[in-house]
Amino acid sequence: MRILRILWAFLRAALLKETAYRAELLGNLVRSVIGIAVAVGGLAVVFSHTSALSGWTLDQAMVLLGVYYLVQGVVQTTLSPSLNEVVTEVRKGTFDYVLLKPVPSLLLSSTRRFVVWHLADVLLGATVIAIGLIRLEAQITVGIAAIFFAAMLGGIAIVFSIWLALTTLVFWFVRVENITMIFQLFFDTGRYPVEIYPFWLRQMLTFVFPVAFITTVPAQTITGREPLVAIWAAPLVGVVALLAAARFWRIGLSRYTSASS
Amino acid sequence: MIVRRATLAGALALTRAEMADMLQYRVVLFLYSLWEVVHPIVYLAVWGAIAGEGAVGGLRLSDFAAYYLTFMLVSHLTAAIEIYTFGPMIQQGELSPHLLRPMNPVWVAAARNISYKSVSLLLLIPIWIGLIFILRPSFSISAGSVALFLAALVLAALLSFLVGTTFALLAFWTTRSFSFWEIWIGLTFLLGGQVAPVELLPGFVQNLATALPMRYTLGFPIEVLLNRLDAGELALGFALQFVWLIAAALIARQVWRAGIRQYSAVGA
Repeated sequence: MRILRILWAFLRAALLKETAYRAELLGNLVRSVIGIAVAVGGLAVVFSHTSALSGWTLDQAMVLLGVYYLVQGVVQTTLSPSLNEVVTEVRKGTFDYVLLKPVPSLLLSSTRRFVVWHLADVLLGATVIAIGLIRLEAQITVGIAAIFFAAMLGGIAIVFSIWLALTTLVFWFVRVENITMIFQLFFDTGRYPVEIYPFWLRQMLTFVFPVAFITTVPAQTITGREPLVAIWAAPLVGVVALLAAARFWRIGLSRYTSASS
Repeated sequence: MIVRRATLAGALALTRAEMADMLQYRVVLFLYSLWEVVHPIVYLAVWGAIAGEGAVGGLRLSDFAAYYLTFMLVSHLTAAIEIYTFGPMIQQGELSPHLLRPMNPVWVAAARNISYKSVSLLLLIPIWIGLIFILRPSFSISAGSVALFLAALVLAALLSFLVGTTFALLAFWTTRSFSFWEIWIGLTFLLGGQVAPVELLPGFVQNLATALPMRYTLGFPIEVLLNRLDAGELALGFALQFVWLIAAALIARQVWRAGIRQYSAVGA
């Protein structure tokens, strides 16, 4: 309960801050719309030469693209602005103030910033998913929807874990401002189904850097495609990744020595 | 355009200083280079998956490999980074000291552009050579196409620099020059030869891509190198590239003159 109240306070503060810059908000919304329109245009070009991309139809690929933008939106709304701040604070030593607050440091570090306008990516992503599903005339039962949400949550948990683990490296190496670029690098491969990549890359994107679990697997569950992995795999990998990343965070935290000591 | 000798000497000195500055950021530059490798590989995988053992519009997998491998180098060498390097200078008032020098501050942007490209090219080339062995491209090039390619590449880099500078100059009027830039980036993605070689774009979109300037900052040099164009298309391409280059130079000049007149540093 208390945790929910804290989250609500962060969100309200962020909303107040953003509404001060309404024109900026509008400009950013326009940017999000352009971004998605260009991506859908790209799909249209690709599918003007084929009816199936490694077995995926245009509508199924659109659902996958929607999942990509939805996850991207979640990451950029709160995870990346919050965790990027940790990197700056550890370098300056002001991370002390995070530790001094009577809130779990991991919660505070990963949720205290909300860049509200990135929610537009979440909404636009959801819209693209919906359009894809309507065009597919997909029969969505409660069961399928539940599996889809479980897979999505698993994917988001994986993203969070990777991002957190990369950020945690700050306790050893201090200057890691750009390390999360590595994540974005691999994540960009997730705009398209993992089946299009050659065998070795596909294995890497499934088992080493599990981008497949973030976009391909959730999109498969709801578009009725042959599953790449068992349906319980994505949530399971998500939970395991979360536990491992939280453990790693605690190990890193124990090495924090502030700035002047 | 007449460039005075003193200006050239100044530009050279600037480039040397920028180069030394750039060499501090090897790790970041390496990450940026990797980034430039990933996007072409995604689209190579897409077209490879469609082509399979066959061909798409006359292009086989090994042709796509050659196209996107060339793309990696061309997109790197023609990248416009002025929105990140020159725009913030205007916004934060750092332009002022440069205005006191006896040469146009655009040379600072040019020096930064050249040093960024040459330092990160050193990091990109080993990755690129490694990829040749993995992707097994079939380069159907000739001495003539290499020579024409170099010409098209230089023109593309110049055009791209002028376009990038013009968008960066919008910072004189608006804090949202990034939004405009992203429209350009989006159009280049669709029409410039990134999501697909221009010859694979459907019907009228292809005509649009041929007429608009985006292709001449990116896709055109690649098509020239790989001998994808006949004599007529080559002539038209170079003519349009040249026309767009002149147009971009004139526009950049006008925008600079109008902008500098109403420039006031922070606090003025």
